[in-house]
Amino acid sequence: MAQVPVQTIHRDPQLFYWILFPITIVMILTGVLRHYASVLMQSAPKKLDQKAIREQRSLLHGINVRGNFHALSKKSFATRRDALVTAFESGAYLKDPERAGQGQPNPLSDPSSMEGMMGMMKNQMAMIIPNTLIMSWINAFFSGYVIMKLPFPLTIKFKSMLQAGVMTKDMDPRWMSSISWYFLCIFGLQSVFNFLLGSDNAASQMAQQMGGMGAAPAQMFGPGVDPDKQFKAEAENLAVIEHYSVLDDVEDRLLEGITV
Amino acid sequence: MAPSLLYNPAKLPPSAALQLAQQAPVVLQGSSSASETVDQWATYENLLLSCLRTGDDEAAAKCMDRLEARFGADNERVMALRGLLSEAQAQNNGELEAVLKQYDAILEGNSTNIPITKRRIALLRCMGRVSDAASALVQLLDFSPTDAEAWSELSDLYFTQGLYSQAIYALEEVLLLSPNAWNIHARLGELQYMAATTSGNGGGSQQKYLAEALKRFARSIELCDDYLRGYYGLKLVTTRLLKEQAKQAKQTDDGEFTLPDSKTIERLDELATAKLSEIVRHSTLKDRGWRGYDEREVAAARELLSQNGIER
Repeated sequence: MAQVPVQTIHRDPQLFYWILFPITIVMILTGVLRHYASVLMQSAPKKLDQKAIREQRSLLHGINVRGNFHALSKKSFATRRDALVTAFESGAYLKDPERAGQGQPNPLSDPSSMEGMMGMMKNQMAMIIPNTLIMSWINAFFSGYVIMKLPFPLTIKFKSMLQAGVMTKDMDPRWMSSISWYFLCIFGLQSVFNFLLGSDNAASQMAQQMGGMGAAPAQMFGPGVDPDKQFKAEAENLAVIEHYSVLDDVEDRLLEGITV
Repeated sequence: MAPSLLYNPAKLPPSAALQLAQQAPVVLQGSSSASETVDQWATYENLLLSCLRTGDDEAAAKCMDRLEARFGADNERVMALRGLLSEAQAQNNGELEAVLKQYDAILEGNSTNIPITKRRIALLRCMGRVSDAASALVQLLDFSPTDAEAWSELSDLYFTQGLYSQAIYALEEVLLLSPNAWNIHARLGELQYMAATTSGNGGGSQQKYLAEALKRFARSIELCDDYLRGYYGLKLVTTRLLKEQAKQAKQTDDGEFTLPDSKTIERLDELATAKLSEIVRHSTLKDRGWRGYDEREVAAARELLSQNGIER
């Protein structure tokens, strides 16, 4: 079997200093800048007024009663359940009781939810704008040629990842184009930012994407959710509980479990 | 375990708090802005509290200044600490009234400032205006019913007033928030036992209280092995039940707990006696693995055991 000849491409060694380093440094600097920009743009979390807190925590209270009813005796659970079900169904805990039953409020008309969305928009913008700029900068100046050779062999599948912008069929995937270096930087600089800015920085987009996914449960009280419906549903959940207590037969369990 | 400035000093015995407060010069020597670590501000806060406990107002004021410089005077937690400091520095009742007025003014502007609300309640209680404190607590719990600290404070407040059923209700709310807290189970058992002791009419309600107290203590032991308070309470309840066995009323099933049969009570009594004497013996000898019991609690258990020995 014939040995595949090792491809050699003679590159100007200056490529290294004039392309590889600048791209990396620009990436790091934009990351740091983005971090500080988003820290500056961050608006303080909005203070809830007393009625809003009451609405949220009363619902949480109902959920707690539903989840931990087994700690109570049947009688004390029943009194709580009756009181909560009546209050939930009549809307006693609502922020503005007269709006109950009018259906979902339009999230765009509520100024407090607009603010939340503006914050999200700002974050998105802080991510998209610099990325677009850098990418067009690299495309304009450095596209179309390879800048380095990776020191380890790779399979052919990596070609599309590492040689974006270089339309050469037979080239070894170890050769890398500048735009691919840029992509590697996006995903690989996370630990550099962690080192420079601390672990909860706003520079790395990976963290932001994960944060976007993790924020889903917080939507419970978010805009567009009708609290009246939540209360009604919770009242129903409470009403159907079949009570048992963890204290039933506890002394038998104790006598079985513990020996002196 | 050596006391550390990272634990809340309110939970430490006085000697440990003193030990912590004596670290104040060393901690305060360091510059506050050199390098900010996660634990640094918790350290300052706890140092402030232990200094106040031990009467070192000067060091406490220094801690306060640093916290205020970092978080700003309008931070809710810093505001509460500042209030605590001025309460400690107040010389007479008039100055305390002034602090109270300040709290009222703050709450006028922002009624959701929970740390200040709590300080106000604590101050009211200290000044002997218990009913005001209770109504303020009820108000707080109306808009924030998921606050375990406030519920247990309310329970304690009612308990000092002798309102046992209200105290029990409030403590049950704490259990709803943390159903596996064995100390709360034991505390609820204690409240129920006391309610049974004072509800003089005997008969039904007393027995119900005792039945639930028995079960609460059993549950606390189930959650925490070798829990001295739990065994102590269990022993108290079973002793009393065995003594009163003759006049047991008819048990009705109306959703309350019912007492187990007398054989089970006897076995529980034996178990509690054996465990208590084991704990007392081991902790008196300071055996390995048996340290950490409060000395006063062990002494109380010893006394209970010796009382029972005489009775038999």
